[in-house]
This record gives sequence, structure tokens and C-alpha cells, in this order.
Amino acid sequence: MQLKNPQCGPGLRAGLIAASCALLSPATRAQALPEPEAGNQVDAGLLYYQEDKGRVRSVDAIVKLSRDFGDERALSITAAVDSLSGGSPIGAIASRSVQTFVSPSARSWNPGGGGDDDDEGRPYQVAPGNQPLVQDFHDLRGALDVNWSQPLGVGNKLAAGAHFSYEYDFLSASVNSALSRDFFSKNTTVGLGVSAEFDQIKAVGGTPVPGSDYSQLAKTRGNETKQVYGAQLGLTQVLARNWITQLNLSVDKGSGYLNDPYKILSRVDASGALLGYQFESRPDNHARRSVYLGNKVAFGRSVLDVSLRLGNDDWGIDSQTVEARYRFPLGARTYLEPQLRWYRQGAADFYRLYLTGSDPSDSHMSADPRLGAFTAKTVGLKLGVGLSGGSEIGVRLSGYEQTPKVRSSTLAGLEGLDLNPRLRAAMLQVDWRFAY
Amino acid sequence: MTKTLLKAAVALAMAALAGCSSLGIKPWERDILARPEMALDAAPVDNAFDEHIYFSREAAGGGKGFGGGGCGCN
Repeated sequence: MQLKNPQCGPGLRAGLIAASCALLSPATRAQALPEPEAGNQVDAGLLYYQEDKGRVRSVDAIVKLSRDFGDERALSITAAVDSLSGGSPIGAIASRSVQTFVSPSARSWNPGGGGDDDDEGRPYQVAPGNQPLVQDFHDLRGALDVNWSQPLGVGNKLAAGAHFSYEYDFLSASVNSALSRDFFSKNTTVGLGVSAEFDQIKAVGGTPVPGSDYSQLAKTRGNETKQVYGAQLGLTQVLARNWITQLNLSVDKGSGYLNDPYKILSRVDASGALLGYQFESRPDNHARRSVYLGNKVAFGRSVLDVSLRLGNDDWGIDSQTVEARYRFPLGARTYLEPQLRWYRQGAADFYRLYLTGSDPSDSHMSADPRLGAFTAKTVGLKLGVGLSGGSEIGVRLSGYEQTPKVRSSTLAGLEGLDLNPRLRAAMLQVDWRFAY
Repeated sequence: MTKTLLKAAVALAMAALAGCSSLGIKPWERDILARPEMALDAAPVDNAFDEHIYFSREAAGGGKGFGGGGCGCN
């Protein structure tokens, strides 16, 4: 059936293509609509991301090409490039004295020793009171996604996708597929999807022996691997003429080398005096579960998008995420969209801000801030401007703040130091959508 | 607490599915849902950037679909 509403020309077609080429969620079709005419659409975006205190800076670009062949057959190809630089926390805590580290790629403490270029192996110092960072890292990532969807019999839809990404020290390839079925006059869609991801970690300078003494730089040559298998059960339901809801239950299980090869922990004595450092050591299995509930509700020409996600894993991390976006029109073609997000996570069972003399050296341990307990807030505002022919340009400015739960210590030697600094980041995004 | 919430959500989902047959709208009432901004993935660029940023800075991830991932940043 063709929708003949004259007000829903290129804009509607663009939206329909976007919907049909959405992420391979098993059930996103209850909304689906009269078949669009065949056509192409491009979604392109550029993101500038900058953290405070000289930490990570990145420039990300993405281009998504969508082609609708009609009869609910759709192809999308997404290419992305990320360029990262700056400093990333190494995991060690601040100290009252100067601390000396060596670039992560080093195999020895001698300047230039063992590395592939002159900088590798060269020690560097961190001033008292400062958070130790990996110094001046640079990384470039390229990624490619291909997704295809088509009907499979009456009322069923099959989707399949593949993903590949490349970094100098990390390769990832994954495939996924989902089968979904409509019920109750397409008001309900139920889907089941599965995915498999295969990664190769090629730590620059070799892979550290987990839990080993940092000063020894004990590293093994050769690549490490990990695999992640996932499944998702999805339900999409039209609740009212202006309200659609989506519920996803997801599980995934990772195994293999799950460490960050560049992360270490500080070890201190009972007074807080620094004893040394150890490489982190994570379990080699990781199972995660999550429930996601999303809603889109129209109020006149405004749209509220609100979602909730609950998750936990067998590392002891539980998380809650609440996100809301409210799009309201400013004239016929322009809109403003305030965006809010709140996130909280608990700490992994083996997370330690630092090790003390009584902590065993052969158990699992990590001081990676991403495994600690924290809350995070994002506040953003997007301005969208519709152009002729269904094109649209958007500008989004956002701020992100991550506040760790534990930031200090009562040990005498560490008192007054910010051991786990707050993270603040600013993001500026420009995006462009057009059909051709 | 999260486990209890997860169980409650699953129970709610099952109850919701059982009640789905009485929900919904007629085909000719889909005018509002047909608007581009009502698509579940109406802003794929926003979502892709957000997924990537949060994936690389937080322990939890995903939930919406199978997109993204495959990054050495986490």
C-alpha cells in the first residue's frame, strides 16, 4: 500500500529508509509502514570530542549509505574513521612524588630499547599530584558495516550484517543476523537476533603478563584473541496512534584476552607510600545481560524519546541508564532537541583504585576507571534545519561528565590527592542527511 | 537490586506480550507513526556516535541493537 499523503514526500521517504536500515535490532518493524519508493539516502556526520586536562581528543567521521530496493528489501553500508590523540589514564594513581613510567610499547627501560621507533622504551615523568596518563598516544580506527534486510515469507523479515574494524593494535570482525515476525496487523513485532564477534589484539611492544611487576616489563610476543557471542530478543509494540515502544533483552558472552594491555595498578604500603606497579589482570570470561525499554511518543508536532536500560554482568558490574530527548518544532522545517542522559554503574568485583601490601598479587585486578563505580551525565542540545528535497542539517553540542564514586584515600601518604579525577568532555557534532 | 529489576522487566514483557492482541491501531491510523522523526532510529548518526563514545568510556553497552562494537578502546 502506498501512502498518498502529499505532505509526506521526500521527508517521509527519507525517514522510512532510515527506519528500514536501522541497527539490526530483531524487532523494529511494528511501526513499519507503507512501502517506500526505491531510493538512496546518505547520512553523514562529523564529531569533535575533547576531554579536559589534556586527555583524549578525537575527530570521528561517519557516512551511511542506504538503498531501499522496495518490497522491504534494504541495504546499508556504513563507513567510519576515528582519529584519537592525547592522554589516557594508565591506571596508576597520583603520588606526592615524581613518578616515572615508560611508553606502553616498551620492552625495556632503556631509551629507544626494544621498540620499533625511537620513542618506544623512553621513560617519562609525571609531576606530583597529577594523574598518570599514557603520554601522547595516537590512534586511527577505520570501520565498515554492511547490513541487508528482506522479507522471508509472509509477515517475516530477515536481516543480516557484517562489521569490520581496524586499528594498528586491534582487529575486529563480526556478523549478526535477526529474524522477526509481525503480529496483530503489524502492531506487534517479535524478533530474535544473534551475533558473533572475533577480535585480535596486537599490543604494541608485546602483551604484558597479567598481574606481573611493571618494572620487569614481562611481555609475550604474538597476538591475543577474544570472541564475543550475543543474542537479543526484541519486542516492538504500537501502543497508540502516537506511541510506539520497544523492549529488548540482550545477553552476550566474551572469552579470551579481555585485558587492556596498557593498564597498570599502583601498589602502596600501609602508610600510602608507593611500592611499585603491576599490570592488570582480568578474568578471561565475561557475560553481560541487559534490558532496554525505549519509547517514542508524539505530542502534536513534538516528539518525546525516552529510554531505560538496566544491565549487569558476572564481573559484578550493575548499571542503569535513563535517556530522554524532546524534539519540538521551531517553524515548519526547524527543530530544537534538548537531550539528557544519566548513567550509573557499580564497580567490578576485582576493581581496585590501588593495591595495598595485603592484596594478593596473583588475583584478578584492574584500576581501569571504566570498571570502577561512577555516575555520568550528558546534557546536549541539537538544532535541526530541514532543507529542500528532504535534506536536513543538524548541529549538536553536548557535555559529558563522569564522577567516580571513590576519589580519595584515608592513607596518610595519599591524603588530599585526587586519585580518581572527574572526567569532563565536550562534543560538537555536525550531521547531514539527504536523499538522491 | 538490578537482578530483581531485570526479573520484573522480563515478567512485565511477558505480560505485555500476552496483552498485545488488544493493543494497537488500525492501518489507516498510522499517520503520526509514519513521520520520519517517529522512526525508532530516526537519528542514525547521533546513535552511532553515542554508542561509540559510551562504549569506550563505560562498562555497559548496547541494548538497542547489534550495531557498533569491535573497538580496542574497551
